[in-house]
Amino acid sequence: MPIEMAGENGKILISDEVIAVVAGSAALDCYGLVGMSSRKLKDGIAEMLGRENLGRGVAVRRENDMLHIDLYVIVSYGTKISEVAHNIQLKVKYVLNEIVGLHVDHVNIFVQGVRVSR
Amino acid sequence: MSKRFINGTDFSTMVAAGAEFLAARVQNVNALNVFPVPDGDTGTNMNLTLSSGAESLRKKPSAHLGEAAETFAKGLLMGARGNSGVILSQLFRGFAKGVAGLSQADPQAFATALQQGVETAYKAVIKPVEGTILTVSREAAKHGMAVSRRADNILDLLNEVHGQAQRALARTPEQLPVLKQVGVVDAGGQGLVFIYAGFIQALRQDGGSPAPVIAEPPQGNAQAHLPAEKKRSAQSQLATEEIEFGYCTEFIVKLGTRMLQDHAFSEDEFRRQMGRLGDSLLVVADGELVKVHIHTEAPGDVMNAAMKYGALTKIKIENMREQHTHILEQDEYSEDGSLIPATNNPVDAAEIAEEKAYGFVAIAAGSGISDIFTSIGVDYVLSGGQTMNPSTADIVEAVNRVRANTVFVLPNNSNIILAAEQAKELAQRNIEVIRTKTMQQGMAALLAFQENADLSANLDAMRRAVQQIRSGQVTFAVRDSQFADITIKEGNYLAMAENQIVAASPDLLAVCMELMQKMIVNGDEMVTVFTGADADEDVTNRMLARIKEQFPEVELEVHFGGQPLYFYLFSVE
Repeated sequence: MPIEMAGENGKILISDEVIAVVAGSAALDCYGLVGMSSRKLKDGIAEMLGRENLGRGVAVRRENDMLHIDLYVIVSYGTKISEVAHNIQLKVKYVLNEIVGLHVDHVNIFVQGVRVSR
Repeated sequence: MSKRFINGTDFSTMVAAGAEFLAARVQNVNALNVFPVPDGDTGTNMNLTLSSGAESLRKKPSAHLGEAAETFAKGLLMGARGNSGVILSQLFRGFAKGVAGLSQADPQAFATALQQGVETAYKAVIKPVEGTILTVSREAAKHGMAVSRRADNILDLLNEVHGQAQRALARTPEQLPVLKQVGVVDAGGQGLVFIYAGFIQALRQDGGSPAPVIAEPPQGNAQAHLPAEKKRSAQSQLATEEIEFGYCTEFIVKLGTRMLQDHAFSEDEFRRQMGRLGDSLLVVADGELVKVHIHTEAPGDVMNAAMKYGALTKIKIENMREQHTHILEQDEYSEDGSLIPATNNPVDAAEIAEEKAYGFVAIAAGSGISDIFTSIGVDYVLSGGQTMNPSTADIVEAVNRVRANTVFVLPNNSNIILAAEQAKELAQRNIEVIRTKTMQQGMAALLAFQENADLSANLDAMRRAVQQIRSGQVTFAVRDSQFADITIKEGNYLAMAENQIVAASPDLLAVCMELMQKMIVNGDEMVTVFTGADADEDVTNRMLARIKEQFPEVELEVHFGGQPLYFYLFSVE
């Protein structure tokens, strides 16, 4: 279900995929996030290769007229997970508002994995 | 005289002063905050994070530097707030690792620990944004490493680190457009500069050094944080016409190979001679070899002068005016005096690159597949496949090119496994063959590899990954035949799962769907498709749509594989 904005010149429809890509891309900028995860608990070839697929691990949902974004992420070991997640929420909200002009009610972060690099 | 060594107590004093210095300037930092979210709390977050670290240190003081740093890092982690706070906690987590076990540190150890902090911090980010606190910390630490040998004491070192951090900070608007647009420097970077400034203040009071009071970083409104003259000076370092010595010249002199009686080698004298011909001079002598690095206008004169002492080798001359954007990096040297290779210079990097513990050679067909292998860490991709198998000699040659102690070979085809096994006997390096029969298995093996795990753990993990992935491929029949209960006509499309024929039909789409039916079983979630060189886009799209329709639970990934003969490769997990 695309986002619809009506104005005097006509309508603008923005698909959920666009929102997912923008949200995913904003999240990737965040410190401490080292990967997006599949919505299901599984990693493998697809996950590692899927970097350019910015919509991966992002779900755009609507509940009672509220817009929810779910992000499935992998964080780096040794960062404070709650804080990294909080930063992602702020960033995603801010960027969606800035680029799409969208009011997001909730950004839910699902930490699906921790990457340990040593 | 300031201290040559700092211990845990000194470190605590520095941290306290750093926290105080920053606390007094929280508003200045907040005023700069436009990235990543312009909510004006970067200063507040850094301050809260830092005071949490300082507080832990106050509660659990230690005169042992390693222990103090550890306590501080833990405090930072517990109190980490905001993006910059998390980064700060990582910088000092790495720092603490760097000084772990040291009761005190000299400038070299301190610089090394700073550098380790930067490395740790960078590990936690998938896509580092340049022009942030990360950049500032990195450039400062890099400079610290470069000058740490010359620094007599920690104060000298920190002055250098702080100075470089300020210069890096001044450049942040050039790196991050959002900063330039608003006309500010990066807030987190500014916070870090303040912390360093606090460290310096503590050391100065402590050591009673007569050094001049440090210049207070620019204050006031956000605009004032972009000192015009500082910005210009940073840029002018990059201006081509201002490069006085245009050729970065490096070579090694093999002493004695042509030594004449009247040119006995004296390092000081040699350095003096070279010094007259340019700047940024670096001479490292170790008895038989002398490494020279110099920026000069006359590389020929330099080499003629050096040749009196011996034969020249590893000669490299670069025109820096052409590379002027990289000049700052070129000016930096690592601690051991070797040039840190500019990242844009692969030849340099390869030359200096140290022997790695592990390397990879994969055999692959198709440009897309090769690119994927390279992108996930294969050092050398040999082209090969069903009809064009590389020989043992090809594999040996590829392995010998990889600068690693142990080289894993991924044959990715059952017909190549034997040749790979034979290569084991012939190569100069230790070879481990992972018996992968398909490209997909090869990728799964690679992804299971862990840089820091030991050999047997890696072999285990990779072999397990190979077992777990299911591969399928679609190709066509070259002659009539019969396989189990499947009748195959020449020209039919053939689907194979794990090299077993499971379907044959004149309809490509039908064959693909039949293969999917066989491969996707309950609980499978991921299907990755690699499209071959002969795959038709229209068929691909229709196939993807059908997979989505029939298996709504499955996530689909499509990559261009470019492999010959096989229209599609599938992996199912």
